[in-house]
Amino acid sequence: MEMQSTLLAGLALLLGSALITPLLATQRRVAGAANFLFTLAAGTSFGLLAFAILSGSVPGESFVLHLGEIAVPFLIDGFSALFLALISFMGALAAFYCIGYMEMAHYRDYPLRGFYLAFPLFLAGMVGIVTVDDLSIGFTVAWQTMTLASYFLIRFDDRNPEIVRSANKYLLLMQVAWGCVVVAAAAIPESGPGTPLHALAEGLGAAESPRRAAIYALLLLGFGIKAGMFPLGQLWLPDAHSSAPSPISALLSGVMIKTGVYGIVRTLFWMVPPEVQVHEGRNLGLVLACFGVVTLFIGTVQALKQHDAKRLHAYHSIGQMGYILLAIGSAQYFLLSGNPLLGTLAVLALVGGIYHLANHALFKGLLFLTTGSVQYATGTKDLDKLGGLLTLMPLTAFAAAIASASIAGIPAFSGFVSKWAIIGSGLLGGKAAGVIVLFAVIALMTSAITLASYVKFFGMAFASAGVEWNEKKDIREVDFWMLLPMLLLAAACLVQGFFPAFFVDLFVGIFANADGSIAQALFADPATQAALATSWAGVRLDLGAGGVAFVMPLVVLAALVVAMVLADWLRTSGSSARRSAPVWLCGYQTRNQDNSYVSSHIYAAFKKFMRWTGGNVHGA
Amino acid sequence: MQPMFDNPPGLLLVFGNLLVFLLFAPLFDGIIRRVAARVQNRVGPPLLQSFYDLFKLLGKENVDSAGTAPYRLAPLVAFASILCVVAILPVAGRPTALTPYADAISLIYLLTLGGVAVLMGAFASRNIYALIGASREMTTMIMVEPILFMILLLGVLKTGSLDLTTVIYGTPAREYGWPGIVMLVVSLFALQAFVGRQPFDIAEAEQEIMGGPFMEYSGPNYALFKYYLMVKQMFYAYLPVAVFVPLLGARHVGFDLVIQLMLTALVFLLIGLLSATHPRFRIDQALKYFAGLFVVALFAIGGALFA
Repeated sequence: MEMQSTLLAGLALLLGSALITPLLATQRRVAGAANFLFTLAAGTSFGLLAFAILSGSVPGESFVLHLGEIAVPFLIDGFSALFLALISFMGALAAFYCIGYMEMAHYRDYPLRGFYLAFPLFLAGMVGIVTVDDLSIGFTVAWQTMTLASYFLIRFDDRNPEIVRSANKYLLLMQVAWGCVVVAAAAIPESGPGTPLHALAEGLGAAESPRRAAIYALLLLGFGIKAGMFPLGQLWLPDAHSSAPSPISALLSGVMIKTGVYGIVRTLFWMVPPEVQVHEGRNLGLVLACFGVVTLFIGTVQALKQHDAKRLHAYHSIGQMGYILLAIGSAQYFLLSGNPLLGTLAVLALVGGIYHLANHALFKGLLFLTTGSVQYATGTKDLDKLGGLLTLMPLTAFAAAIASASIAGIPAFSGFVSKWAIIGSGLLGGKAAGVIVLFAVIALMTSAITLASYVKFFGMAFASAGVEWNEKKDIREVDFWMLLPMLLLAAACLVQGFFPAFFVDLFVGIFANADGSIAQALFADPATQAALATSWAGVRLDLGAGGVAFVMPLVVLAALVVAMVLADWLRTSGSSARRSAPVWLCGYQTRNQDNSYVSSHIYAAFKKFMRWTGGNVHGA
Repeated sequence: MQPMFDNPPGLLLVFGNLLVFLLFAPLFDGIIRRVAARVQNRVGPPLLQSFYDLFKLLGKENVDSAGTAPYRLAPLVAFASILCVVAILPVAGRPTALTPYADAISLIYLLTLGGVAVLMGAFASRNIYALIGASREMTTMIMVEPILFMILLLGVLKTGSLDLTTVIYGTPAREYGWPGIVMLVVSLFALQAFVGRQPFDIAEAEQEIMGGPFMEYSGPNYALFKYYLMVKQMFYAYLPVAVFVPLLGARHVGFDLVIQLMLTALVFLLIGLLSATHPRFRIDQALKYFAGLFVVALFAIGGALFA
């Protein structure tokens, strides 16, 4: 009962914000502050709820909310709580960032009434998606609130017909996705409005095989569209994410597309009843893993081709979602194999997928915020025109460096351990895992492409040179209001990278207490928890018979620091003199746009080689 | 009672391994230079010339063209990353004290970190030629690194472990079967690309883009990059030896190591000969070559999986 009232109190605060904040919209900063305070208050109540569940002090709870004739079932368990925590954290930081960001010169003559109406509703919709327990009425209300609110947020800059078109496309595809899910749920035997998930799972068990396959396909399709799965993600995600104001992009990429993953995990781990034959269930995981590996490869290669910073991040969201889908698919495939070795690897894969999801929420959110700051300060997000911001915007550069290192999976940053888990779980299966091993090789190769892309992003925007001759001269660091959320997120990214043990234990705990999930027995098994040992230094997986894998980010970091001290000693050992000198420009007097090597030229040979993957940028 | 010799303490192996790599890498580099000279009918520099170069560079003026942290950090990170790789690398079948803290995937990521540092330095140095070189370097890395990884992967598949000692030394050579032979051939064909020598010295291409990523670096910074490249080169030449040539299983780690180093020297002779007799590929030609190797390596992995 208490859980129910906490949830409703949070939702009521968001609705209150939607009613009150637009009235203040003429006072732009005041409205921003009010929006933040409401979001913070709502986020605190969701956060407390999530903390209570995740810390294990209260079990998950399901309840039914009666709205007149209509009954909407809710379920808040550990898995929902994780998403609640992510939505609250990212929502509050994005709301804080909006206070400063919406003052950007380009936005100054746009009224903010609609923006502050839609912002809290968007968050409320996402909270709804991860707490309602049906796929009919409650799901529809939550999905449509989320979709419509985000539609208006994406088309905020509505004087640009391009952006309106992107938003319309987004709206259309989200309706298609909604249709897929609702039709799938309606096709389940003995389902009706307000049937909770566990009853739907039983219904699926009773359905005959072809019908069941069609239902699963529709569910994967619907949630896959939301999650940006290839080829459907490409249709809407890059356009929508690059059109929205940056804090909204951070929420879209950081949390909203994760609701698709939420749906897929619920489908794969809660809605495959024991009546479903093992091979049938496994095929579902294998299909998802196949889509995952294609998504991660194609999405990332397409991202490499972009020189618009926000489109680059957006395509990478598709790519990173591919990693998550691959992990979830292979986890389910391993789980249902009945092979104890693969069972342990299923734990690693699922934990890796969820860990990557949490990491991605933060580092991708941070990347969009830093790009927003760059756009705020310089007026452009085109990497061809940027360069040399390191000295002009040092703190933004610092945050962007941490976020880039995180997504690239540089050792000890977040992304390193989660990718280790995803790739490692695929490789260690060996012959029993079959084709998943090859998928892991592709995933490893793709992580080098991600790295290439983010070296380019950071290198071209912050290191290098160029902004001084392309854009205005008086570029200054953004103010405190925009720096604070970025630095907080950067710190959180570091924590995620340095202390994998905490997160691995957390995610194992979530599934060990996940009632009704096919993964619960395996995760709750003491043998599993013994096999996946965590310590302050990192994570160690012991498969028995000599099979081990381990990752120790803090030790690697310490070794790197010691080695750097040694290198620095070597560098100064000759006591050489230091001198500053300008770059030699091969005879050119000054560098300018005509004699420089811009972002579009970088990796030109590779981009040409990968032309067939699509997502090509004209002139690049 | 010779426990010290049978199983030297891990910490000793860390320092021993570092010492071996730091001392032999410039020497092996000297072999390449000497071989190239002989092929071109020159006498060539002394074998220790690469050492002399390093010493000289360490004392030279350090010109800083960028004045930013990434520019100054890049050589440190590059050199540190390769030191870490060497520190975790088992010595002739014996794990060092650091081997239990980083598995095969960590090794690959550490190797990549060195490449990233080179790129960061190139981007930070604001030079057009450095950018061209960086672009080529990364393109090569994307293609070549999975090939290196697949060489290790055969061991992973055979032993079901990611522990480096097991991966590299856990499988007797004959148990690799035909995928092992294919992979050995692949690793020989990829050797020049691994070590960044002709025909794959595309990123530095002295005659064309004047050292590429390292163009703006001088003095001690450049010395660190040079040293990094030499150690990396030795690592890549040593790895196929360690993976595919069985150990004698001598009681003393030193014997095994000496044999491995002699074989590595032979590999360097090969590298020298190949690089002295081959013209440079263009990057697009190299990409096609790597893609071919990648497919063959994937085929070998598939063979090990499904055969």
